[in-house]
Amino acid sequence: MKKTITLSPVLLLGALLITPNVGQADVTPQQLEPFRKVQPGDDAGVAQASKLAKELSTRNDLASLTALRAMKGASSLGKNWLQGLANSAQNRRPAGKAELEAFLNNTGEDAEARYTVFRWLTDGNAEVRKQWLVKMTDDPSPEIRYEAIALALEPSELSEATLRQLLDLARQPEQVTAIIEKLGKLGVKIDQAKHFGFLTQWKFVGPFDNVGSDKFNTAYPVEPDYVAGKIADSYAGKTAAVQWVQESSSDPEGLVDLAKLYNNEKGCVVYGLAEVTSPSDVACELRVGCINAQKVWVNGELVIANEVYHTGMQVDQYIAPIKLKAGSNKILIKVCQNEQKDAWAQRYVFQARICDSTGKALSQK
Amino acid sequence: MFKKFYLTRWFMLSTGLFISGQVLAEDWPQFRGSFVGGAASKSTLPDKFDGESGANIAWKVSIPGRSVGGAIVVGDQVITTTSDGLEQRRIRLLSYDATSGKPRWEQQLVARGRPYCHPTSANAAPTPASDGKHVVAFFSSNDIACTDLQGNLLWYRSLASDFPKAGNDVGMSASPTIVDGVVVVQVECQGDSFALGINISDGTTVWKKERPRKANWASPTSVQLPSGKTAVVMQSSENLVAVNPSDGKELWKIDMGCSTTPSSTVSNGRLIVPSGGLTALDLSSAGAPSKLWFENKLNSTACSPLVDNDKVYVVNRTILVCGDLFTGKVLWQLRIPDANQIWSSPVIANKRLYLFSMDGSCAVVSLDGEEGKIENVNKLGDEVLGSPAISGNAMFVRGAQNLWKIQAK
Repeated sequence: MKKTITLSPVLLLGALLITPNVGQADVTPQQLEPFRKVQPGDDAGVAQASKLAKELSTRNDLASLTALRAMKGASSLGKNWLQGLANSAQNRRPAGKAELEAFLNNTGEDAEARYTVFRWLTDGNAEVRKQWLVKMTDDPSPEIRYEAIALALEPSELSEATLRQLLDLARQPEQVTAIIEKLGKLGVKIDQAKHFGFLTQWKFVGPFDNVGSDKFNTAYPVEPDYVAGKIADSYAGKTAAVQWVQESSSDPEGLVDLAKLYNNEKGCVVYGLAEVTSPSDVACELRVGCINAQKVWVNGELVIANEVYHTGMQVDQYIAPIKLKAGSNKILIKVCQNEQKDAWAQRYVFQARICDSTGKALSQK
Repeated sequence: MFKKFYLTRWFMLSTGLFISGQVLAEDWPQFRGSFVGGAASKSTLPDKFDGESGANIAWKVSIPGRSVGGAIVVGDQVITTTSDGLEQRRIRLLSYDATSGKPRWEQQLVARGRPYCHPTSANAAPTPASDGKHVVAFFSSNDIACTDLQGNLLWYRSLASDFPKAGNDVGMSASPTIVDGVVVVQVECQGDSFALGINISDGTTVWKKERPRKANWASPTSVQLPSGKTAVVMQSSENLVAVNPSDGKELWKIDMGCSTTPSSTVSNGRLIVPSGGLTALDLSSAGAPSKLWFENKLNSTACSPLVDNDKVYVVNRTILVCGDLFTGKVLWQLRIPDANQIWSSPVIANKRLYLFSMDGSCAVVSLDGEEGKIENVNKLGDEVLGSPAISGNAMFVRGAQNLWKIQAK
């Protein structure tokens, strides 16, 4: 007997309501361009992106992976807009497992987008997470690599060969330090400062006056002399003439203790000069950690300036892209100490390193 | 006497929702609730609960990463934030069903500002805010995102990208507030310091006001003026200012050293300002409010003060101090047993004050006698730094690693 199927008008209407874009083509990458271009301070761009985001939130025709693919080459703010749209799209219309796995396996996609997919695939499933991570210790995504190396470091006993391999792959400073410590327990001594690329050889001149903490933007003669490439042997300091002194840091994290070097001087400025020799022209990064206000120049160009005192310090706190030229490169740092009396505000210390954009010291290449 | 009656009556008449939009009576839409007072007098919460045995724990959800802000309640959703992954750069906004604790939706972005903070804190430090239609999540890295109640991203701003010197590597924590369609955030540090009014409908800047270049963790507080208009009050170590939320124009300013961690509270026509003690200001007349009293023994170290039943409560390190709202006179004080550090601002429900220590122990203090009395100290088994949210007869506590619903079974 032939079955007759009758469509109820109510059910039909309901079906149309829950699939509001029947027959409508998916959102194309071109339609996502306004998100990709949002720049800092761009109110008009934010308004345009917001209008489009609102529109997309009422529709069902954006595939999460379309938004994630659009992240490649997008502005840093644009990436977050697209990531947000992808999350919403994934909630409404989840991409299939095979599609997600293919995206994650494609290391040419945006690194943040791939990590987002990694989370979608593995959150709440420790076993699946582990299966992915065991093969991702050299993944180009810093977030994935960090988790993969953390997993690889979990066993209480690891061989020297494994640790050396992980040390070569690790980029996150705390993780690198942990591996060096583990190697140390096996009797393997690693020059930590060298591994990170910390600058350990400096010469300093100071102290200059910073009473009232108002000399951050005062260019003492050291600055124009450095820019002009003719450093003098002696300068008029805070209370007397001051000369350059050599200082080597033996700290594993390249810390230079100016409080010790300058007898806990307060309300002062000290300049440090380092020389870096590069075998070729190279684009890289200068990464500074400093508890005091500081300015840093590379080959005469100001690249870092932070007028902040005693609000935390850590490795890679301030990062600036720089270009080293073949041969000698001169780095000048100005470190300012204020006059706070609190016990926690007595440190006068900095560290600086040069590395590639992933955090690997140039010398290791 | 007349003044007390007048102020109370004015408050009763002029009380309105500080957060505009569609906030419901049982919602807890921002840090310290609708009226930034932290009191929910109609709610009844259990005196006893226990995280390990599950006694009077309706549900518990484990959340990856870390948060030190509070949760909010909007309709049938409990919404919170977390930060996890490499350097806590993944910033997430999560919604759960208030009844069952089941996940509803999630948004996830990447911090564009520096996410660094003291180990005690987290990138997810500010409490989110809602006007009943939108949810705004702000982070220590100065990333701010707005979603609808289904989790769709409506707009996103990186204030650290817009103002590159904004930030504090100890961590920022001022929570946003929403008034008349404007999100107000305070970003105060030694670098770029400002308050920003952001259009909640599209994320664009409505106004920007320069602020003192000093670290400040206090949150903006919305207050209702006798004119019926709502103002946003911002405190700093230099002064106390009230601005019009729609254009950022200064309505009044008082030169006074305010605390930079606990935030101000409003009650009975009074603005209660932590200020190295407590200052009560009279909000009942136009212009800059006059000082009613100052009491240095009512010193709030980290938690924001709260008011209930004409009494004001502050937490001085691990001592709960009660004062008279109208005179500032100290009425009693009570040492919280076995408390270590206390960061979580207390809440009050049905004459019981709930005060969490950082180790997750919660002192329940009865307030219906002449003096406060410890009824119980309950162990949650989770770090707690955020202030609880109350909705109906339930308390939602955002532990550093879990979200808890506490309710009598």
